Amino acid sequence: MNGKSTDFPLRRWLLAMPALALVTLFIAAPYLTIVVMSVRSPSNVQIYGPGFTLHNYLRIVSDRLYLGLLTDTLLYAAVTAAICLVLAYPTALHLARTKSRLRGLLYAAVLSPLLTGVVIRCFGWIVLLATQGLVNDGLRLVGLGPIAFLYRPVGVIIALVHVFLPFMILPIMNAIEAIDPRLDEAARTLGASQATVFRRVIVPLSMPGVQSGVILVFVLAASAYVIPMLVGGGRVPTMATVIVQQLLGGFLWPFGAALALVLSAAVVLVLVGFIMLIRHTMRRLA
Amino acid sequence: MRLRHAALIGCVSAVYVFLLLPTAIVILTSVNAAEYLSFPPIGFSLRWYRAFFAARQFTEAFWFSIWLGIAASFFAALVGTPAAIFYVRFLRTAREQFRFAVLSPLLLPEVLTAIALLFFFNQVFGGTQSVLPLLIGHVVITLPFVFLTVTSALYNMPPSIEEAARTLGAGTWRTFLRVTLPLIRSGVITGALLAFIMSFVNVNISLLLKSVGTTTLPIQLFDYLRYDFDPTAAAASTVSVALTMSLLVVIDRIYGLRAVRF
Repeated sequence: MNGKSTDFPLRRWLLAMPALALVTLFIAAPYLTIVVMSVRSPSNVQIYGPGFTLHNYLRIVSDRLYLGLLTDTLLYAAVTAAICLVLAYPTALHLARTKSRLRGLLYAAVLSPLLTGVVIRCFGWIVLLATQGLVNDGLRLVGLGPIAFLYRPVGVIIALVHVFLPFMILPIMNAIEAIDPRLDEAARTLGASQATVFRRVIVPLSMPGVQSGVILVFVLAASAYVIPMLVGGGRVPTMATVIVQQLLGGFLWPFGAALALVLSAAVVLVLVGFIMLIRHTMRRLA
Repeated sequence: MRLRHAALIGCVSAVYVFLLLPTAIVILTSVNAAEYLSFPPIGFSLRWYRAFFAARQFTEAFWFSIWLGIAASFFAALVGTPAAIFYVRFLRTAREQFRFAVLSPLLLPEVLTAIALLFFFNQVFGGTQSVLPLLIGHVVITLPFVFLTVTSALYNMPPSIEEAARTLGAGTWRTFLRVTLPLIRSGVITGALLAFIMSFVNVNISLLLKSVGTTTLPIQLFDYLRYDFDPTAAAASTVSVALTMSLLVVIDRIYGLRAVRF
């Protein structure tokens, strides 16, 4: 190294300094604060009492209520991810391969919900799913009585699927787009039927997209707060709604922090299991 | 085979209806003359827009959201643009780690980030009395959008142009101002517009970090919808949708929707 290049890298690092400082100070340090908060002792007069304890964690794992809440939350998230996958795959396949002039418009239709805001979309579902709403009007026409969607898990899951569906469509679309169309042609030339091409070429090669989509949707759905609050009317408790309630309503910060970390750990565990399953299936396909 | 294609088109169309229906319903409700949220509409009226513009809690929240979005996107662009230049042009080692660090606000669950920031500001800065914690939260959350867009703008621009400028005698700083910046300007503007939208529709960060007495439009709507369902909220929502969708059109014009990545 000559003298000139030793001071250049330092000056270049200055470009990255503001962003790194922002992320260190306002992401890394705050996340550390959650960990510290979760082992503080609870207090009635202050945010937390003196000393450190594991009591918050013990309270969660020994209480049926919180364990039930955790399994409910993970179940809603898993169901949401599964339904999203079923709805997203054909849409992503079509969007990735279509030569239609409407393609740009269809892409905008997938993207625009992400920029609309979750409150407004929940509002739409509240109107649609009400007892006198459009969905129940339609059900009445075909002879199915009014179904109570709102304030029930079923309504919450419908809204969760709707809000997070683009996060499943976009990665799968990207993965399918990255598949060289000549691979399809080669397989067809070698005598594979269209169904076989789909099963043996498209599906395995789009797996990375499926994996990212499922991870994204599962994490987002497991930590969703606004949707269970609005469409569930606060009557479909999830980990996120209970945690925020502990923080804003009860000022039980150490306990809320422990709940947040238990949820994160559970989500990570489920995802590790899922990734191992995908790897295993991929190996058998290959 | 044709049948299978028709079935695919049918499924896909149903998914698009599912994606767009709730927003369409909100817009329809806002111009419905009925007293209560009802469907089908009984007649066209702009009365709920008059009610929206007359309701101070909504207009104040609206202008505060605009202000917050502009401030957050400005700082996100100011911080994110040099980071993207550093990442694309100079960084040789630990590239994945750097990218992960800058994108972490997007990858981590937003509620968790909001909780972390709430604790942090209380422990270190003595609470969320001023508007600063809220602004910082919004800058952190919107930073990845600037980074992603500017990164892709830089990849689309050959580095040889900068080398040419330097060969012709321009210094580093001059090259940046006169060559790089003009060429990635549309990328930076697109990133800032996306940052504005993501700040404008944010709920989780705002909910936990807002100070007493200030409220953003999504928070106002959120509070309103928990107790009231009158169509004023639909008018407020439609105004918000109209704003973000026109920005999406602007993004499409200056950079293309392909820039919008998550």
